[in-house]
Amino acid sequence: MNRVAIAVWNPIVAKEYRSRMRTWRSPVAMTVYILLLGGLGWAIFSAMAASARSVFNGSPANYGQALFLYLVLFQMVLLAFITPALTAGAISSEREHQTIDLLFVTKLPSFSILWGKLLASMSFVLLLLLLSVPLFSLVFLFGGIELDQVLAAFLVTAVAALTLGVIGIACSTAFRRTLPATVAAYGASFILLAGSLLYGLLFPTAIDPNATAAPAPPAVSYISPLLPLVTIGTSQPVTWYGIGSGFSSGAGGGMMCSGTPGGAQSCVPLNANGVAIGKGVATPFYRNPPQATGTVIPSGLFAGWQYWQATVTLQLLISLAALVLSAILIPPTRHLPWARRTRAARSA
Amino acid sequence: MIAVEGLTKVYGHRTALDAVSFEVPKGEIFGFVGPNGAGKTTTLRILAALLEPTAGRAFVDGADVIQHPDLVHDRLGYMPDFFGVYDQLTATEYLDFYAACYQIPRARRKKIAADLLELVGLADRHNQPVDTLSRGLKQRLCLARALVHDPAVLLLDEPASGLDPRARVEMREILKELQRMGKTIVISSHILPELTELCSMVGIIDQGRMRATGPVHDVIRGLTSGRRLRIMVLGQREEALATLKGLSSIRTVDIINGAIEAQYEGDDTTAASILQALTAAGVRVSGFSQLDGGLEDAFLKATSEDVG
Repeated sequence: MNRVAIAVWNPIVAKEYRSRMRTWRSPVAMTVYILLLGGLGWAIFSAMAASARSVFNGSPANYGQALFLYLVLFQMVLLAFITPALTAGAISSEREHQTIDLLFVTKLPSFSILWGKLLASMSFVLLLLLLSVPLFSLVFLFGGIELDQVLAAFLVTAVAALTLGVIGIACSTAFRRTLPATVAAYGASFILLAGSLLYGLLFPTAIDPNATAAPAPPAVSYISPLLPLVTIGTSQPVTWYGIGSGFSSGAGGGMMCSGTPGGAQSCVPLNANGVAIGKGVATPFYRNPPQATGTVIPSGLFAGWQYWQATVTLQLLISLAALVLSAILIPPTRHLPWARRTRAARSA
Repeated sequence: MIAVEGLTKVYGHRTALDAVSFEVPKGEIFGFVGPNGAGKTTTLRILAALLEPTAGRAFVDGADVIQHPDLVHDRLGYMPDFFGVYDQLTATEYLDFYAACYQIPRARRKKIAADLLELVGLADRHNQPVDTLSRGLKQRLCLARALVHDPAVLLLDEPASGLDPRARVEMREILKELQRMGKTIVISSHILPELTELCSMVGIIDQGRMRATGPVHDVIRGLTSGRRLRIMVLGQREEALATLKGLSSIRTVDIINGAIEAQYEGDDTTAASILQALTAAGVRVSGFSQLDGGLEDAFLKATSEDVG
């Protein structure tokens, strides 16, 4: 076997597959996953059908879009609960069962142990994602969703699950016991999904009245997979989140805008107490800030990117960092080049 | 085959190993004896390249454990003092997994697993899940695991702990078989009688320091003062005592459980002379045997001395 084949199919993967699929937990987990996802889909569909009977308020395409949006978001939340549980015990349980030493004395490089554990857990997540495909295909019955939207949503979900998985492995390597590792992995998963969104709420992008491009939420918030999933699901620009209401960032202030019957809008800056700065309500006039169109990030670090592209990039970077950290932490004896040199010098 | 030079390991303020040195030539069974917490497991873990020493060097088959852990892992089979078995795997799959970890080609793995199960007497249980095996059988399976890559050196940490006498005898037979196959074996244990029988060399460690090391009989002789004889006589106990006390080689004479126990200075020739002297004095000797104080005495002596 060549190096690539050994890396991809190392003995850990085969062993993990065997022991995972021989327990009753895996089929139960799969069944519960599908039942939850299907149950939510059915509940949303019933709710929409009931409201459609009373008021005529939408076309089937809207049903499809709404159903898709709820399903992808719910799937992401479900995976955020499942993935840390799959990986947070990967290394620490080997330590607890004292089997990790037995792996360290083999010819298996310690990175292969990490990689094998990650691959095995991620295959199970991938299996769950594949299981949900028939459910998502029902969305096409209603229409309103294109195949590329589904693919992009699955890519974002899969990459986010991978990141949660690698973070789980890193926690499992850093903490000796499974319990603290699991707590840390869930904490990290919460920060990744919700904490990054909270950042956008607390520190929204200030509107620059002289900007030529529309404002976009702060780049940190793109870490959350929920933002691109909503963008993909709705095909709408993000105007409802992460954008400040004024151009004096932070310390109060804001902008008071008034519409004219002709549709034009004029705005006047306010101070921290909400009192208009300037002499008259109508003066001075500010140009309307540009409005975002489409699902492209209009400005900032990732200007011109799709939201999902930014999220996938950021998540992969986080995964890489977590993987490197795990690789440094796992070996029983650290053989950093400089450490080896000092030791050799001392023993000589 | 194994060389340890001035090995020291310090954990915070506690010195677990203090300049431990010993050598084990090829094909020997080295008994590593010491009370719990003496530093046996620490030494073995350093030899297995699982732990870095604070100072000193160790070599396994010429490979430095710090510089070349890969070479060490290639040449060494390590069996820790716990089982380390996985759930949901059969005995064959368990061995196959570790053989794969040693990058043994798939085609050879099946035969290796079958041969090793045969060697440790588990051939009829090849399909049994490892977590359902008894303690003794798990221990044997773990020994088989340490052998999957046919290492020249075996490190066994407390292989007999928790085993019933029968399982211990079986384990001993397997180890003798491995010695015949040319393996160098290091066994740590605090169960001494079986080590005396099994090992050709011994090292006594206490509080991180090597108290004595060398061939078993040299160590015992060096540490125990004199040898003991148990003599049974027919009725003439007083004559026998008088004769024994008159001999220059006899140090002490006691009567224990109706038999005479005499401590003497010398070797087997001296023992024969003592018997001759007794018969010459007309004492009818019905029993005459050497009491080997053995490793246990040597161990107690070595570990009670404050070699500060």
